Amino acid sequence: MLLQLNNIFKWVNSGGQRIFLLKDINLEVEEGEFISIMGPSGSGKSTLLNVIGMLDAFDEGEYNFLEESVHDLKEKHRANLYKEYIGFVFQSYHLLDELTVQENLEMPLIYKKFKGSERKAMVADMLDRFSIVGKKDLFPAQLSGGQQQLVGIARALISNPKLILADEPTGNLNSKQGEEIMELFKQLNEEGVTIIQVTHSEKNAEYGSRIINLLDGRMI
Amino acid sequence: MNYLKLAFRRLFRKGEHAFTRIISLTAGLAFGILLLSEVLYYYSYDSFYPDADRIYVVHENFKMDKSSDKLESFPRVSGAIAPGLKAEVPGIEAATRLNSIGDHVIYTDDLNSYDASISLADEHLFDVLPLPMVSGNPKEILNSPMTCMVSQEIADNMGGNVEGKVIGIKNYPDKKLTIGGVFETLPENTNYTYDILVSMVSTEQFTWDGTNNWMGNDRYYACVKLSPGTNPKDLAHAVRAMQVKHQDIEKMEEEQQGIVLQYSFMPIKKIHVDNVKDMIVILSTIALAVLFVSLMNYILLTMGTLVTRAKSSAIHKTCGAETKNLQQMIFSETAVLFLVSIVGAILMIWALKPMAEAQWGHSLSSVLNPYVIVPLALLVVFLIFITSYFPGRFFSRVPVATAFRDYQQKRGKWKLVLLSFQFVGATFILTVLVIVTLQYNSMKNADHGYITEGVYYGSTEGMDGNKLSTVLNELRAMPEIETVGLGYDVPISGASGNNVLSPDEKRDLFNVADFYEVDSNYLSILGIKVDEGEDFTNKEAVANDVLISKKGAELLKLNNRWTDGVVGKQITISEHGNTTIRGVFPNFVVRSISDPDVRPSVFFYLPEEKFEQLKIENPSMSFNIMVKAHEGAQEGLINKITEVFNLGFPHDDAEIKSLEAEQLNAYKGQKGFRNAMLIGNIIILLVTIIGLLGYTFNESTRRRKELAIRRINGATLWDILKAFISDLEYVALPAVLLGLIGAWFTADKWMQNFAFKVHLHWGLFAACSLFILLLVALIAGINYTRTANQNPVDALRQE
Repeated sequence: MLLQLNNIFKWVNSGGQRIFLLKDINLEVEEGEFISIMGPSGSGKSTLLNVIGMLDAFDEGEYNFLEESVHDLKEKHRANLYKEYIGFVFQSYHLLDELTVQENLEMPLIYKKFKGSERKAMVADMLDRFSIVGKKDLFPAQLSGGQQQLVGIARALISNPKLILADEPTGNLNSKQGEEIMELFKQLNEEGVTIIQVTHSEKNAEYGSRIINLLDGRMI
Repeated sequence: MNYLKLAFRRLFRKGEHAFTRIISLTAGLAFGILLLSEVLYYYSYDSFYPDADRIYVVHENFKMDKSSDKLESFPRVSGAIAPGLKAEVPGIEAATRLNSIGDHVIYTDDLNSYDASISLADEHLFDVLPLPMVSGNPKEILNSPMTCMVSQEIADNMGGNVEGKVIGIKNYPDKKLTIGGVFETLPENTNYTYDILVSMVSTEQFTWDGTNNWMGNDRYYACVKLSPGTNPKDLAHAVRAMQVKHQDIEKMEEEQQGIVLQYSFMPIKKIHVDNVKDMIVILSTIALAVLFVSLMNYILLTMGTLVTRAKSSAIHKTCGAETKNLQQMIFSETAVLFLVSIVGAILMIWALKPMAEAQWGHSLSSVLNPYVIVPLALLVVFLIFITSYFPGRFFSRVPVATAFRDYQQKRGKWKLVLLSFQFVGATFILTVLVIVTLQYNSMKNADHGYITEGVYYGSTEGMDGNKLSTVLNELRAMPEIETVGLGYDVPISGASGNNVLSPDEKRDLFNVADFYEVDSNYLSILGIKVDEGEDFTNKEAVANDVLISKKGAELLKLNNRWTDGVVGKQITISEHGNTTIRGVFPNFVVRSISDPDVRPSVFFYLPEEKFEQLKIENPSMSFNIMVKAHEGAQEGLINKITEVFNLGFPHDDAEIKSLEAEQLNAYKGQKGFRNAMLIGNIIILLVTIIGLLGYTFNESTRRRKELAIRRINGATLWDILKAFISDLEYVALPAVLLGLIGAWFTADKWMQNFAFKVHLHWGLFAACSLFILLLVALIAGINYTRTANQNPVDALRQE
């Protein structure tokens, strides 16, 4: 078991009322799965993804990740956990504009304290694997949307995470670029990487082995 | 991660306000550092002497006004005091004395001339105030008659190898000094400066020899070095015993019915600080205000980039960055911005160098000493820490999910607080500037009680006495010249002091500003009219008759219970003996309004022919030749007068001054202060405008939706501006009031230096407040108008 969510609740208080963002979520994810989370806007898809990625706290429930009780962990421990095992891919890529492609890829390795020589080798591998060697010295603004997302995925993968969390990874791409990215996810999944994606697209959701539907913060 | 590389790249990113942040920091740092370095420079005075903490200057304390209990402190003593202290006061390790004979023109055999400040010094000088010697033995030199040592600067000017050379002094044409050695030039940050040291055993060659005097002739700068661990207060008993033994102080106290003379020890490092303590407070206040405002602005602009920075921080976090990584990143950015700003500030200071040097009266390079550099460097590091720590802490705390969810800035009262600090600073410095300008103008234009326009004067120092009458006749023959006269001093240069004694000559009544002798034309040249009695033009006037100021006359009447006036009365004045009062003249400003000598003043009569006779008999004696020009005849007059003066000068080096220019020069300190305030004001206003622009830009972006909704619901531009600007003015108003209070306190303190003060009318404060409030409204109005005029549909679509 990669992760397990038990009776997760998340809410905000507004105008004296409690508004639930996630309500009684129970979810088990095995290693190697490819899960698509779907639902209308405001249904809690991104919130659920952020909770799984340990970027957002929850108010009630239990969350176990690789047999670690995330709900009991202190922030630093939690950060170490997601730094070690989770890679993030975002709809708007979230590359750092002031870093080149190569430097964007290198960043997670620096924070994981890899040596310089190791970092260089790993970045070179990743550039090669995604066929973006020629772009390594370019800044994000000099790349197309598809190329930026490729870099985003490469950055998420560079430290060999067990889980990729992708929040509408094709949302800003045209259909051809979107298809290429989804093919890439499929391939990564076949190589053993667990993927959880949030998507609005039925077509993209089909790439997953399992679809979870959310409505008003609840799994249906 | 190479945070420095990242920081440099961010410098050029749009929307980071890097340029404006650098501009405001550069301006603030340049001005703040310039002022603070001056304050620290004051604290560095005389610290270069080894064991400076154990060196003290001997002060004598006495009553200037015999009817008051207040003791005046004077940093000069009689000649015998320093050796007396060394001999009779245990705890004094070494003692020395210096006696300045003034600034002089000196000549070498090749007739080249050099300006130098000359002092007589005893052989113990370097035991207390040592300087590294380039050549020669200081003890031997200072023990040998008519031998001197010169500073390295003078030696270099003379060509380097000066040992054995003979020099002459313009004012002492018959004296020759042999150079016995060279010492390293004194730094500028010292209370007592000299370029040439002449052995004290040569005193009688230049002036009356008071080296063994226990009382009077108090012109010796005496310094002592205490033994380690000695507290100067513990020496009081032994010093008193010395006074009893040598000065018969107990008898004098009995006669004078109170304290006559005491001695105290002032730490040499504190002397200058004490002299300029008001200036220290004012300069520090302005420097800190400027630094504070520019830092607030820096933080305001940094936090204005919150949306982009929060996202960037979140990305780093998702890649594994911890809080300390983010703080390191922000620290690097701040350090880079500071580095660039400091380089800019140094360039700016370099550009302001001539003005700063003219204002401070010393070279800027002299502040490059550890006492100035170390605290300033620490301050900059502290500022970098402060300005990076809080934004770093803030950015690292924004939750990742929140940052990615199109993070919007909240209203943020802290931004208004930061902005209000800037309003406080802007109001403070603007108001102080206006007050300083008014005070300067009023002093400059004030009636000093004598005429300066068209009055020129030159010293007879170095003039051949036999040619004095030729010079005077030639001057009188000039069609541009109305009157020619003689006198020892001019009001602007101040006067020496002497005591008026009681009729029985047993008590000192009061001290007077003694202008010594003047001829019959002197007063008319200065336009000083005698109110009671007659001036020295009267044929009955005889040498040593005296004219006294109204204040002196009043004191004489009060002390001597004279009811029938003072004219015709006999009085005794120390150094002059018995004299007849010929008349009373109105009080006039002695020295300047900013540094007035408030003592009553006196002039003694000496006929012109006596002046000539004295000059011939004693060539080193000098006085001034004064001329009054006809109205409208001043173009090129100084050169013409100089040519005539040079008839009497063997080296053609007469120097003629305009009394009007010299009087204006007396206020250069205030003018410099006004200029400093002006620059400070420009900087603070610039920084505040930048801050306001940044704030209103961020606010108009943040409230774009609100603006659009208001427009759609029928609000006019004026309605919107009214609502938004009044929000800002509510913050500005209390800040402006605080600034006014600060300005009032500072200006009040500064103006305590002046006998004559400009009236601080409430309208002045109201006008300054109004200016700041209007400035706020104007800048906010421009920025909000731009946003309010956008198509509201576009604004809502973007939301």
